Amino acid sequence: MPEIILNNLNFILPELVLTATVLVIIVAYLTNRKDETIVYYLSLVGLVITLYALTGKVGENLSAFDGMLSIDPFSLFFKIVIVFSTIVVVIMSQHSDEVKSEKNLQGEYYFLVLSMAIGMMFMVGASNLLMMYLALEFSSLTSYVASGFTRKAKDSSEASLKYLLYGAFSSGVMLYGISILYGLTGTLSIAGINQVLMQGSVNSLALLISSLFILVGFAYKISAVPFHYWTPDVYEGAPITITAFLSVASKAAGFAMMMRAFKVMFVDSSLVTLPVGAWGFVNGIHLQQVLIVLSVLTMTLGNLVALWQDNLKRMLAYSSIAQAGYMLLGVLVLGNDGTAAVMIYFVVYLFMNLGAFYVVMLFANKIGSEHIDSYKGLGRKSPLLSVALAVFLISLTGLPPTAGFVGKWMIFLSLINAKMIGVAVIGVINSVISLYYYVRVIRNMFLRDEERMSDETFKFPLAQQILLVSLLIPTLYFGLFFNELVEFAQFSVTMFGVK
Amino acid sequence: MNLYEIVFYFFAIVTVGSAAVVVFSRNIIYSAFSLLFTFFGVAGLYVLLNADFLAVTQLLIYVGGILVLLLFGVMLTSNTISVELKTGTLHILPATILVALLVGLLTATFWTADWFMSKRASDIAAQTTSKEIGDALVTTHLLPFEIASIILLVAIVGAAMMARRENPKSQIPI
Repeated sequence: MPEIILNNLNFILPELVLTATVLVIIVAYLTNRKDETIVYYLSLVGLVITLYALTGKVGENLSAFDGMLSIDPFSLFFKIVIVFSTIVVVIMSQHSDEVKSEKNLQGEYYFLVLSMAIGMMFMVGASNLLMMYLALEFSSLTSYVASGFTRKAKDSSEASLKYLLYGAFSSGVMLYGISILYGLTGTLSIAGINQVLMQGSVNSLALLISSLFILVGFAYKISAVPFHYWTPDVYEGAPITITAFLSVASKAAGFAMMMRAFKVMFVDSSLVTLPVGAWGFVNGIHLQQVLIVLSVLTMTLGNLVALWQDNLKRMLAYSSIAQAGYMLLGVLVLGNDGTAAVMIYFVVYLFMNLGAFYVVMLFANKIGSEHIDSYKGLGRKSPLLSVALAVFLISLTGLPPTAGFVGKWMIFLSLINAKMIGVAVIGVINSVISLYYYVRVIRNMFLRDEERMSDETFKFPLAQQILLVSLLIPTLYFGLFFNELVEFAQFSVTMFGVK
Repeated sequence: MNLYEIVFYFFAIVTVGSAAVVVFSRNIIYSAFSLLFTFFGVAGLYVLLNADFLAVTQLLIYVGGILVLLLFGVMLTSNTISVELKTGTLHILPATILVALLVGLLTATFWTADWFMSKRASDIAAQTTSKEIGDALVTTHLLPFEIASIILLVAIVGAAMMARRENPKSQIPI
């Protein structure tokens, strides 16, 4: 038995490294409270080692801890996305005045960010409903605390409380769905549930109810309408670094968990009439229609409300709700190419969304405001940042030659291949709507002058410029050279236990 | 109606009835005390299901720990005893439709579904479950068990962080 456990521990080496880093951070912080930067460097070192440990897992496709976790290319892909965005967010935090102003909470801050990452890494690999629920709660609990981090901002604690209440409700509903499913099948392993469902003896109404309830938990995590109420307030009230982290990594983990649950649990592998790579659900699961409704609502509401936002942080919050809607388009195709499209979109989204938040943060450091009017004339004051923000926003709209275009293109392509033209058209219309509010910011930066003209220019330290450029280059690079990314995503759709 | 059913309905009525008081009472002390009966009723249901370990844990943690903490919280917070809770009802019509729909669907589910019956239901009837749970926690469910401990650590740190924030003068290292 001990050998088996040791062997299994080897499979979760990256998670273990990150957990060890978290513990080292706490000890180092408690023994040395004078130097606040030490926790920052420790986090970075830990994350880089984690990333290195992940590269050793390429090609592994197995199940660990009695089927609790799947170590497969699919989870590896999302783990890389999560760890990479954690690295960016940690560096961002070091440049954020908002985070640094909490001098005696630095240890807790990095502890929380890294803990969130651990929870998300377990989310993407979980292949047992108990494990999924635990991992979801893990990442949610840490997010609640982290979003209430800044004590000066009053709306920060409001954000935290709102997040907690909505989270408790949604995970309660999800747990109820899980318990019904367990009552029907007598197992919590998603592969085991699939076996029972394939025998076809399970009542279809009960199955429908439980699958919908479980979907509520996922929809909350990816902030899909109508489970999005917490999103704008939390994104606005939380420190901007946490907002950026939630909008990318947390969403990636939620999507990964959802896609794995659907594909492993509900797909009927005996259906042979379908084209290669498409998922046919077992009798009684009608998730495609539900997902279409969710996706259309999410895109449309996110974009329409974003039109009226004057606070850039809040606008990006609604924009990230809309982005979740586009990604849901890839999921509702219910096929491997749709999954690959979502994965490509996440890589692209990582760079452009973190980049946009980073620029907003840097401006907020200087001008102390996120209001759209304070962006007037910034194109002259700081050309590098303004151009970068323009590129990120154009990429979020999905225009060529940026990476956002490739991401959207792959998603719409998979929709068209699945002959769902109507939904694709709604998606394109939504992209056009989103152009309006993204361009509003660009227009303010370059074409509008502020009331009192001043000749001051903003200087940013070299480290900040380097991070900015290293987010900017991939946003442009993947817009032109995307073959390797597409191939890697198509290679990574393999999940353990399913074809 | 045999003895088992009588006991079941007794505990069920205690649980649901006291839960209704928790929700509908306008006095927070009444709510907190009726929560005691809700937890107690649930513990009774666990006993009926042969889940002895779970029943004892329910009593120890919920009744012994969480409820006592809750009562202390209510009593030590000034002004909660005399203040009437402000409760309002919003969106009555959509809420009624939604709840009715949900109740209907769930009831239909529980009537029609053929639930999974453990083949060992008769075997385990007289056994204690503690040993099996203990075995499972260090073999098949080792990973969730360990992750729960990390969650606990994170929760403690998070709670300490949130509690410390109220007093800006307390900048003394712990």
